[in-house]
Amino acid sequence: MAALLLRALRTGRTLRGLGSAVAAPATSTPRCSSLTQGFHSTALRLQDESKSDKSSSSSSSSTSYHEHYQAHPADQDTTAASHGASADDPSTADASRANTSYQDQSGEQSEEYETEEQLQARILTAALEFVPLHGWTVDAIAAGAETLELSSASTGMFNNGAGDLVLHFIAQCNSQLTEILAEQNNQVQLGQAEQKKTADFLRDAVETRLRMNIPYIDTWPQAMSILLLPYNIPDSLKHLSTMVDDIWYYAGDRSTDMNWYTKRAALTGIYNTTELVMLQDSSPDFQDTWNFLDNRIQDMANMATSAKQVQSTGEAVVQGFMGAAVTLKNLTGLNQRR
Amino acid sequence: MQRAAYTTDSLVKRWLRHRLKCRAPLQVSMRPYSVFPPVDSEEKKMLDRMMRVDHAGEYGANRIYAGQMAVLGRSRSAPLIQEMWEQEKKHLKKFDEILAVNRIRPTALLPLWNVAGFLLGASTALLGKEGAMACTVAVEESISEHYNSQIRTLMEQDPDKYVELLKVIKEFRDDEMEHHDTGLEHEAESLPGYWLLKNAIQLGCKFAIYTSQRI
Repeated sequence: MAALLLRALRTGRTLRGLGSAVAAPATSTPRCSSLTQGFHSTALRLQDESKSDKSSSSSSSSTSYHEHYQAHPADQDTTAASHGASADDPSTADASRANTSYQDQSGEQSEEYETEEQLQARILTAALEFVPLHGWTVDAIAAGAETLELSSASTGMFNNGAGDLVLHFIAQCNSQLTEILAEQNNQVQLGQAEQKKTADFLRDAVETRLRMNIPYIDTWPQAMSILLLPYNIPDSLKHLSTMVDDIWYYAGDRSTDMNWYTKRAALTGIYNTTELVMLQDSSPDFQDTWNFLDNRIQDMANMATSAKQVQSTGEAVVQGFMGAAVTLKNLTGLNQRR
Repeated sequence: MQRAAYTTDSLVKRWLRHRLKCRAPLQVSMRPYSVFPPVDSEEKKMLDRMMRVDHAGEYGANRIYAGQMAVLGRSRSAPLIQEMWEQEKKHLKKFDEILAVNRIRPTALLPLWNVAGFLLGASTALLGKEGAMACTVAVEESISEHYNSQIRTLMEQDPDKYVELLKVIKEFRDDEMEHHDTGLEHEAESLPGYWLLKNAIQLGCKFAIYTSQRI
């Protein structure tokens, strides 16, 4: 306990030496968490709650912080550095918590306490390395947890097992894609790049996204079958539809009628079929897949133009009929009433 | 960071992401003078539903007036109906804009409202000018009531946050009330079976509002 105290005091001193004004005793005592809540965001609130949980176990250390910080003026508005400082102290004081993020990333002063979701995300990301070896299974998750120095029993956190891993991977790829598209959009708006034509844009976006699957292409059939399990279908459909919506949005689609649906349905079809073709593709750098993608997008563009042509032809025909009807009415004298 | 707009946008987005602790990319409009305030996902769903049904409503109203004009387009009440139609077109354009900017999905029942609206307008217009006016009164009353309940909801939540959106809805509600009063002025009530027609149409409108919010 004394050793922990000394370590904590030393960290406190070094952090104080960083020169930021520290919020006083307020941060260490649970009573003041209600005060701080008014000012701080949710993550900090979580942090306060976890601190109040641990305050009973480390009450002696917190009173020492109390004396330590009392020398400084109480300043409730400067939160960042103080919470960064106090965040580090409980984590160093409480060694039982399997939270390696602060000790490993001490250079990076993150002010949030890690939530369970963030921990799960980290484990799953680490697990992706082991997918080529173990496939999309709980074993990969266990291996990933072990690289993070967590027990392989942490797979118990994942109710859905392999499904969680696949969905995490998909969500990660989709957000990467969205970032790339947003960046391209910014470039265009800043005038640093040309706006691509719709067909090219769609082709590039789908190709970019499918290329993210390449490292896992050997086990991808397994992933796809996992996504088809009834339990996972709502989530996988949600990811797919959000991705397709994002692609069309950045391609410039702002339609508010049935086109909204037809465009997204078409792109979903193209994406799914191209994904399937990719599984069977053995050409160098998947060239056959990209050719297939080109052809499908061309088909979609052709269908759109023929639909427009049919519509304008239809309108012309209707005009023709109306003209013929009016002529007939004139000839037979039915138009005399006015 | 070269341009002010881009800098402000991305800085505000980063700040918002930090405040909301949101890992997913924010999908709200950051355009200046945007009608929507930045909101989190629960509120966004509610606003999405509201805007979706409003858009469907204006689309339907548009088609009703189109149907009425198709029948009564050469009668004496044509200029009146045309004027009301122009205002509905303006409303529809505004909602199109809101939907596009905020990436809201339009209702999948639009083709249904297209046909149903046109048929309603045309069939009531076949009953004569009073029929068309009765249809207008019924529909505008439903829409005004609907806008009023939306205004109430937004006011209950947070009038300051939604001030822009409330302005738009209030303006449109006032326009619809004006149409309603115009219809009454032009002898809508003198139609035989007025009470029956009015209630039937209002029932249909309620059904349309209910389904457009969900589908």
